[in-house]
Amino acid sequence: MTERKPRIVAFCCERHGMDAAVLSARSGRQYDASVRLVQVPCTGRVDGIHILQALEDGADAVFVFGCLEKNCYYDTGSIEGRKRVGYVKQMLSEVGIEKERVEMFNAASTNAWAFPEAVGKMVEVAKKLGPIGGGERQ
Amino acid sequence: MKAKVQVVLCKCCTEMPALLDMEKLAKAASDSENVLSVLAVDAVCDGKQLAQVVNNVKDKELDRAVVLACHKKDISPALLKAYKRAGVSEYMVEIVNIREEVVLPHRDEPHRAQAKAETKLKAALARARLLAPLERQSELMRTRNVVVIGAGVSGQAAAREAAKSGAHTILLEKTGKSLKAPGVIMPNSTLVGCGGYGGNFKLIIKAGEKIEELETAAVVIATGGGWTHLKGPLAKAVKDAIPLYRLHEQVQAGVLPKGPIVIVDTPDPAGKTLRVQDFAWDDTLETAMELKKKHPEAELWVVFQEMRAFGLSELAYKEAAEMGIKFVRYDKAGPPKIDPKNPTSMAVKDFAHGELLNVKFGTLVFASIPANPDNEGIADALRIPMTAEGGIRRGSMQRWPVTTPRPGVFVCGSALFPKPHEVAEREGEAAGSMAGGFVKPGTIEFGGVVAEVEQEKCSACLTCVRTCPYEAPFIGKAGKAEIRIQGCQGCGMCVGICPSKAIELHHYTDEQVTAETRTLLGGDF
Repeated sequence: MTERKPRIVAFCCERHGMDAAVLSARSGRQYDASVRLVQVPCTGRVDGIHILQALEDGADAVFVFGCLEKNCYYDTGSIEGRKRVGYVKQMLSEVGIEKERVEMFNAASTNAWAFPEAVGKMVEVAKKLGPIGGGERQ
Repeated sequence: MKAKVQVVLCKCCTEMPALLDMEKLAKAASDSENVLSVLAVDAVCDGKQLAQVVNNVKDKELDRAVVLACHKKDISPALLKAYKRAGVSEYMVEIVNIREEVVLPHRDEPHRAQAKAETKLKAALARARLLAPLERQSELMRTRNVVVIGAGVSGQAAAREAAKSGAHTILLEKTGKSLKAPGVIMPNSTLVGCGGYGGNFKLIIKAGEKIEELETAAVVIATGGGWTHLKGPLAKAVKDAIPLYRLHEQVQAGVLPKGPIVIVDTPDPAGKTLRVQDFAWDDTLETAMELKKKHPEAELWVVFQEMRAFGLSELAYKEAAEMGIKFVRYDKAGPPKIDPKNPTSMAVKDFAHGELLNVKFGTLVFASIPANPDNEGIADALRIPMTAEGGIRRGSMQRWPVTTPRPGVFVCGSALFPKPHEVAEREGEAAGSMAGGFVKPGTIEFGGVVAEVEQEKCSACLTCVRTCPYEAPFIGKAGKAEIRIQGCQGCGMCVGICPSKAIELHHYTDEQVTAETRTLLGGDF
């Protein structure tokens, strides 16, 4: 049996977040294929239920990728996004799931290194912790 | 109604086939539910092939499309326009970025890339099935007015530029001084309130003793700096002190102010009313060095609490000291003092040596200018954010340097932060032409990706009203939240935060987002 591949969902804002991800690809950076990128208009749009549903549907780790907090396209959007992630983290620790599985990253549109770095970090987390509930959910 | 989907596979010239098996991808597409047509083209950005794609939609009477190509922002303008002409709403076309999300970053793993591309296609189809056609609406502007608040350097420049686009400019001047600028000048008037939205504002203006209502399409804020409102013991003691930019102008013009010259960071050294502003220090060093180079005999003192010479400016700091400019650092415990009865001598305790110095000066220069105190009232009336320093906050440093987050409201000059005359004038011109360009079409467009409240679920908790940076949600007559779609920018912040889940963002509904995520997680790669 081959090694189980991690499943990671990235909620990425259409503005600086997406621009940074596209720039990283265009500058020839490689990252793990296991990331599933979902575009949202702003990280403030990400609802707790989206993250929790993703984890329930089989994601090992979820991260939210948005603009820098002082340079957000929608003014306070990425601050709202961070709050939402913090809220989900708290909920996860209450039900006994590692809160490291959910994370928030920020980047300016010119930060080509940011998206691959975020993916790398989350892949590491997913590999370390394995699937939620120890693999019987496979 | 059953969805009829067209799938377009763009080869991006040769990039996609180099890594992916396009035939397999086409087969995966045609095997999927609702897909009636699969088209592979060399490049969808090519006009001829785009026409071919669009004609295919027309002939088969399809109502939505999934395009596998590159970055949305790069191809969407031409692509969506072409689809719109063919009768497919721009909100029914789902663009999947295969090039930058799959092909480029996973060059070394063709098998995983293939699986990922197929999964992304399926996810896009899942999302496409749930898409709904949305309509953009437009509304006529009732007037072509541009109101410029403040008729200073930047305000006059803004009025000149706005008038070029055919806008009727109205300048609000706080004082009664006579001016020459294109348009109507309202002396002794200030803005006290504002209703409406970008394109159709209703301003409440206090002109003299009267309260007047004025309809306008756009507003330019050019209140300038608050130099006349300097507060603090030093400013009170020395009435003829000048700001740094004025010294810079004098140096440029070759005038030597009465020496010795003392440059001090703030008129309020105890730091109660003002903060030491970062930007002033590079300018202080520059101006001081320029002055010293032109007039080596001039005696120059720089009295400061904190020298924030960033990066390479540190070298300038050193050079300035070598040139003979005297630097005195003080501490908050021993701030510089000037006796109002003898406004030619400053007593300051040097922090390094602990000695009390008596510096005689002919000219006192302040390196920082406070923000205009009028900004607060104006920001309150127009409901726009302010900076911590008391200036008006711009939309984005890089892309919208003269725009506020509120559509139709522009800002320029020292209303943002203190700056020299020429810069303020250029900014005024920029803001004026932005306002002119905003007014020129005579209509405002809105709608499309906007939020909508489900009235039955709303508990009128005001969370959305507080969260929205654009002031779009409000409590309507029924006592429930409503969204003013003219103001909605489609970010979805209110949707994510609504505790009753009463708000929905069109084009990014919970259902659509979850369906896409679920399908993506279903793939094995």
